[in-house]
Amino acid sequence: MKESIITGSMKMAALVAADPRSMVLITRFGIDLGFGDKTIKQICQEKNIQTDFFLLMVNIFLSSTFFPNQKLKNVDVKLLLTYLANSHEYYIREKIPLIQAMFGNYLGRMDHPAKPQLQTFFDEYIQEVIEHIEYEEQVAFPYVSNLLASSEGVAVNDGRESYGIRIFEERHTNIEDKLSDLKNLLIKYLPPSSDRFLRIRIINELFDLEQDLGNHARLEDQVLIPLVEQMEKQLNP
Amino acid sequence: MPASAIIAEHSEIIRKGMVQLLESSGLFAIVRETPCSASLYDQVRRHQPDILFVNPAMIDGAFRDKLKKTQELQTRLAAIVYSLHDESTLKVFDEVILVNDSRAKILRKLNALMKEKAQEPANTDLSLTAREVDVLKLLVKGMSNKEISSGLFISTHTVMTHRKNITQKLNIKSVAGLTVYAMLNSLISLEELD
Repeated sequence: MKESIITGSMKMAALVAADPRSMVLITRFGIDLGFGDKTIKQICQEKNIQTDFFLLMVNIFLSSTFFPNQKLKNVDVKLLLTYLANSHEYYIREKIPLIQAMFGNYLGRMDHPAKPQLQTFFDEYIQEVIEHIEYEEQVAFPYVSNLLASSEGVAVNDGRESYGIRIFEERHTNIEDKLSDLKNLLIKYLPPSSDRFLRIRIINELFDLEQDLGNHARLEDQVLIPLVEQMEKQLNP
Repeated sequence: MPASAIIAEHSEIIRKGMVQLLESSGLFAIVRETPCSASLYDQVRRHQPDILFVNPAMIDGAFRDKLKKTQELQTRLAAIVYSLHDESTLKVFDEVILVNDSRAKILRKLNALMKEKAQEPANTDLSLTAREVDVLKLLVKGMSNKEISSGLFISTHTVMTHRKNITQKLNIKSVAGLTVYAMLNSLISLEELD
């Protein structure tokens, strides 16, 4: 199921049943559970969401091999930015606090000389994720919004011309490495403890976060950046 | 290709008998045969045979551990048994050849043993070497490649190779993550970190 392409005639409930990760995904479009037997297309129309855009996001998230091609030029950059901002909101308000609380709980009961280092490592990782998100929210996304306004004929000059979208790309790997390290420390190297189920839950959450952040990065690298580059070229031929 | 073998056995009759049996099977090439245990360890290190046939009285339990530690060696140990041995003595061997086993039975045992070996991934030993531990210790103290290189009297290129191997073996990429690993494994103390 995961590798098949999701279409508009499919029922939304079938999408969720096929891959529960889609539950978090659809909330980023303002869609809540409780949609009965409506199809994806019906719900998108009700909520004023471009069905094509919704399907593009779903397919990118649920299939790691799906690569958007011709559909790219139909993507509404504004919608994409809203979607990405909603994802950020989810990381900051839901996912990260949850993992922080679980991890804090786990470490609180742990008795090992390496405990402070582990705490520091975890805190630094979370801090990096938050900084990365803030950077995108405060620098990268406003830049894209401005570019969008310029391409629509609204003159904007805020002295940011020298700043190109390429700066986006280099910042993802570091965060991915640390998350992978954190997982491996918990899986392989932390001594056994009585809190084994809490530990498993934390590891599950980290896998989930890793996948979600990976898709998020893929979306930025493979969809947003190519789109913005096109806009840049059109404005400064 | 025949598997390379070393045979260590005091008794000439038994040793020559083993050599004859193994070579005639076409499955083994005997690179060395020896009646004494004195330089056995060095010979195994030098020739790195696929299999070592040895009289259990000629080696002790530490022999095998020593072999494992000093090289990424895949040498199998087969005991040549014709007297009574303690069960714990025989435990260190991958296979036991009894002196009154039939030729067919011996070859069947060895075939199974060599097949088992072939299926093993090439590098199963993921523990760090002593040198890698040295590099790791300096690394988590916040030293640069250059500082590590002059501290250990090795080239920066070698430092990078060690770092690459450490990361691959442990599956930890960041220095912060390696620091936690070093602490968890008591490679470094809190005082050393400051």
